[in-house]
Amino acid sequence: MFSSSQFEPNSAFSGGGFMSSQPSQAYESSSSTAKNREFQGLVPVTVKQITECFQSGSEKSGLVINGISLTNVSLVGLVCDKDGSKVTEVRFTLDDGTGRIDCKRWVNESFDAREMESVRDGTYVRLNGHLKTFQGKTQLLVFSVRPIRDFNEVTFHYIECIHFYSQNSESQGQQAGDVTQSVNTTFQGGSNTNQAAPLNPVMSSQNDGNGRKNLDDMILDYLKQPACTARQQGIHIDEIAQQLKIPKNKLEGVIQSLEGDGLIYSTIDEYHFKHVEL
Amino acid sequence: MDTSSPSAFVNGALLRRYIGQKVRTVIQVIGSDTGSVIGKSTDDLQIVVRGPSTTPPLTTYLEVIGIAESDNSIRAETWTNFGNTFDPQNYNELCKLASGEFKHLFI
Repeated sequence: MFSSSQFEPNSAFSGGGFMSSQPSQAYESSSSTAKNREFQGLVPVTVKQITECFQSGSEKSGLVINGISLTNVSLVGLVCDKDGSKVTEVRFTLDDGTGRIDCKRWVNESFDAREMESVRDGTYVRLNGHLKTFQGKTQLLVFSVRPIRDFNEVTFHYIECIHFYSQNSESQGQQAGDVTQSVNTTFQGGSNTNQAAPLNPVMSSQNDGNGRKNLDDMILDYLKQPACTARQQGIHIDEIAQQLKIPKNKLEGVIQSLEGDGLIYSTIDEYHFKHVEL
Repeated sequence: MDTSSPSAFVNGALLRRYIGQKVRTVIQVIGSDTGSVIGKSTDDLQIVVRGPSTTPPLTTYLEVIGIAESDNSIRAETWTNFGNTFDPQNYNELCKLASGEFKHLFI
C-alpha cells in the first residue's frame, strides 16, 4: 500500500530495473565505476545514509550508496524550522531520528502551496526529493510532501531502508546469509539464501538453477578484465576456478554454454579461454 | 545537514542500553498523570514518560523522543500521537534490527 504510490515502475519491489541486472561486483574495488547501473527509481534512505555516502567522498557524478547512484530519495521524518516567508520557496529541516537534512520546496502552483500549508513544524511527513550538493552542503530538493496519517508508515519506511540496503549489500558479495535471515523475521520477500527467489540470488553456487545464471556473469566479468584480455593465450579453466573460488566441475558446463553462445572462445587448447571482443 | 543528535530506536528491553542518551520509542498508553504518562512498550514492559506539564489528548499509541533516564523511564522532548491503529510487533522487530546489525544505518 505504501510502496506502490511512492515508487516508479522500475523500482526495487517489482524486481525490474536494478535487481536482476546487478552484476557481480566482486572485482570492482570501488563501487562507483563503469559497472554502476543508472538507477532512476526512488531510494528509501535515512539521513545517516545520505551523510555517510557523502562523506565517503565520491568525486564522481553524484552521491553513491551501495553502488547505486543516488538521486531521488524517499525519507520520512519530522518537519522542523519551517520557513515559508518567501513566496516561491519553502525551506525546512527534516529530522528523521538519524540526522537532520535541509530541504527546499519550490512553490509554483497553488497545488504546491496547499500541500505545504498542511505541513507544520512537528508534523511527520513522507518526502520524495532529489539530492543536490551545493557548495559542499547536501540538500534535498523536494518534489513531494505528504503528511503521514497512518503511523505504520514510519515503521515501514525504516524497514524498507534496511531491506534496500541489505539487498544491495548482498549483490556486492558481502555476507548475505545472516542479513537476510534476520530481515525475514519482519517481512516476506527479499531473501535469497533458501528460496529460489525471483529477486537477486547472488553468488550462491549451492542454488543451482539461479547460481548458473550468475556463474555466467562471474566468468564473463573475470574474462573481461583488462588483465585477462591482454593475455594472448587466454585463461586456463583452473585459474578461473581458483579466482572465482568455484569448483572446476561446476564451471565446465557453464563454460561450454558460454562457448556455444559465442561469448567466449578457446585459444591455445581446449582449457584456455578468452572473452569474445566485438 | 547534521547527524549529531540521532535517537536510537528502543523497546523496553533495549532502553537500558541507552541510559543518558537520546532515544525514541512507541508506547501503548495505559494511564496518564500530570506531567507523566505510563505506557507499555512494544515488548510489554512498563515505561514511564516524564514530559511537559500540559498533556494534550493522547491516542492509544504514543511515540516518545527524549533522553532515557533509567531502564524504564524517559524524559520526553517530543511526543507524537501515533493513532490507534499501530502495529507494535513490527515496531518491536524494527528496534531489534536497528540496534543490531543495521545500527550503522541509524546511529
